[in-house]
Amino acid sequence: MSGTSHLAAHSDATPSATAVPPGNTPGQGRRRRRRISFDKASFFAVALLLPLAVYVVFVISPFVQAVYFSMTDWSGFTADMAFVGLDNFARLLGDEKFLRAMLNSALLAVVVPTVTIAIAIAVATMVTVGGSTTGGVRGVRGAGFYRVISFFPYCVPAIVIGLVWAQVYDPSRGLLNGVLTGIGLDGMADFPWLGDTRTAMAASMFVIVWSFIGFYTVLFVAAIKGVPGEIYEAARLDGASRFRTAVSITVPLIRDNVRTAWIYLGIAAIDSFVYMQAMNPGGGPGYSTFVISQDLYQTAFSKGQFGYATAMGVVLALVTLLFAAVVFLVDRVTGGGDDVRGHA
Amino acid sequence: MATVTFDKATRVYPGTERPAVDQLDLHIEDGEFLVLVGPSGCGKSTSLRMLAGLEDVNGGAILIGDRDVTDVQPKDRDIAMVFQNYALYPHMSVADNMGFALKIAGTPKAEIRQRVEEAAKILDLTEYLDRKPKALSGGQRQRVAMGRAIVRQPQVFLMDEPLSNLDAKLRVQTRTQIASLQRRLGVTTVYVTHDQTEALTMGDRIAVLSAGVLQQVGTPREMYDKPANVFVAGFIGSPAMNIGTFDVTDGKAQVGGASITLDRAVADGITPADGGRVTLGFRPESLDVVSSGSEGAFEVDVTLVEELGSDAFVYGTLKNGGDLHAGDSNQVIVRIDPRNVPDKGDTISVTIKPEQTHAFSAATGERLG
Repeated sequence: MSGTSHLAAHSDATPSATAVPPGNTPGQGRRRRRRISFDKASFFAVALLLPLAVYVVFVISPFVQAVYFSMTDWSGFTADMAFVGLDNFARLLGDEKFLRAMLNSALLAVVVPTVTIAIAIAVATMVTVGGSTTGGVRGVRGAGFYRVISFFPYCVPAIVIGLVWAQVYDPSRGLLNGVLTGIGLDGMADFPWLGDTRTAMAASMFVIVWSFIGFYTVLFVAAIKGVPGEIYEAARLDGASRFRTAVSITVPLIRDNVRTAWIYLGIAAIDSFVYMQAMNPGGGPGYSTFVISQDLYQTAFSKGQFGYATAMGVVLALVTLLFAAVVFLVDRVTGGGDDVRGHA
Repeated sequence: MATVTFDKATRVYPGTERPAVDQLDLHIEDGEFLVLVGPSGCGKSTSLRMLAGLEDVNGGAILIGDRDVTDVQPKDRDIAMVFQNYALYPHMSVADNMGFALKIAGTPKAEIRQRVEEAAKILDLTEYLDRKPKALSGGQRQRVAMGRAIVRQPQVFLMDEPLSNLDAKLRVQTRTQIASLQRRLGVTTVYVTHDQTEALTMGDRIAVLSAGVLQQVGTPREMYDKPANVFVAGFIGSPAMNIGTFDVTDGKAQVGGASITLDRAVADGITPADGGRVTLGFRPESLDVVSSGSEGAFEVDVTLVEELGSDAFVYGTLKNGGDLHAGDSNQVIVRIDPRNVPDKGDTISVTIKPEQTHAFSAATGERLG
């Protein structure tokens, strides 16, 4: 009895290399042409054709229309317009005010995402893994509190933020100068933060960064929590400091989120319309905070030059696309893109 | 190289009453391979993490060599740890993973390279140094995790179930590799596992924990031959020991239909608290099949026979009442001659081999005699 069981065990272990699964012989493998059933057709119609139609009608066609308008001299309120080719774009190249706005938008696109992401990663690190260096990996004491607090600005509408900060920056009645003079900096009395070419842009950027940090902190906190805790423990045993851990471990592992954040922030910063319109409706001192979207708005609705304004819009769209392309390119060149997060 | 000492080390997780590790006293010799073993939730991993500095110590102290490291940061303890899931840095190559600690310590590049290559050679990883962990098999990742520990040349290796993510065959292979590597390097090692086979085969000594309390420390042989209490008796050994509690009359335990004479020392050790009962344990291989009616024999109804080629095990229930079972099953296990096995439904008579009965207090579970 035991002898037979030995044999059985052996034959089980022999690889059945010669066995051919039934129905898998050559020739039978050729796929038959699929019949299109009603189920399939209706599924495609609802899941694919319908959204596509909506997308074409409401997204693609306005784009095409906008490109067409940008080549006309349409005033916006008349039925007739003349086709002027690329004249509007040629005019933009010589429009100093517009070029200044381009420059400001470019500056915003570089500074705002960089500063916001740096601060957001720092805060996210502190509330998740930046706590005490003995004992388990954890955030600083009161991490939950800071996390909630940091999210507050994001709950306030952008227009409200702009108006509130315009009051804070007010030269004579503002909170900022009140505090500064209160601590003895009398030279700061009546300093026009938004009215001085040296500070207007920086002060505006500060507000934009302030309003975004909370959301991106939450985004990065979620990303960091997705990294297995053991990796942080290993880094700690390897002797990595908080800063070293952030640079060598956290950032590479949440790279995809950082890239996404960079693109979103860049697009928002290039636009910046609400903030700038609320704080500096006129474009700031010497147009130092004037952005493309403001120029577009004024050109279209104050000056009644819809054709020309649409050309600005087209340029704005192109600049935004270019920005996204640059971010992807930089990411790719610096070694991103391959999925490193196949967990070991 | 160093000794490791737990001196009444205690860990209480916030919000819990019962300590996860309760007054652990344990001394590990220089160069020793000590295995912490126990069921899940027994506090073995917590003990290891306390030693690593990844878990706060709420009471007592932990020493590495003569240095009290209780409040020392993990990085300053001169230890290296192999994690259950390896915790490799997914964005770094194998070489960078292994050299990360040295890089942070500011070791010259040439030396890092040399030490990484040495470790890679020992672990057969040389051709994979440029790969990312994702492109490695489970066994290779496990070796990289080992390599990361070796490269640092620490005073103590800590291993937290490093084999539990490998398939059965690879686990057996790697088990012997780790044990021989440790002997070769001579580094003090604390190894955590829930698998008592791993513990018996790898450890110089084994420490069994249950519910945060250290049950017994000893060599594998001691643990197997002289378990200090019922828990250790039931935990060490595969298949598990048969354990049951029986009435004692006139210094004889009534097992099934048989009267088993207890040692004098055992009989004297029974206290009033035991209520005239004693807990007996005997391993499956301590039982002999005899013809029915033999002196001291009791009968077992066979419910299942498991044949393993070299061995065969009978699973059954004790006839004529009495609660006797092995491990978590409610069955008696008897090792028998694989050339002569009974059928399901048969009844066999067995006796306990002389001097192979383990007796424990029915009240406390501590060993008697």
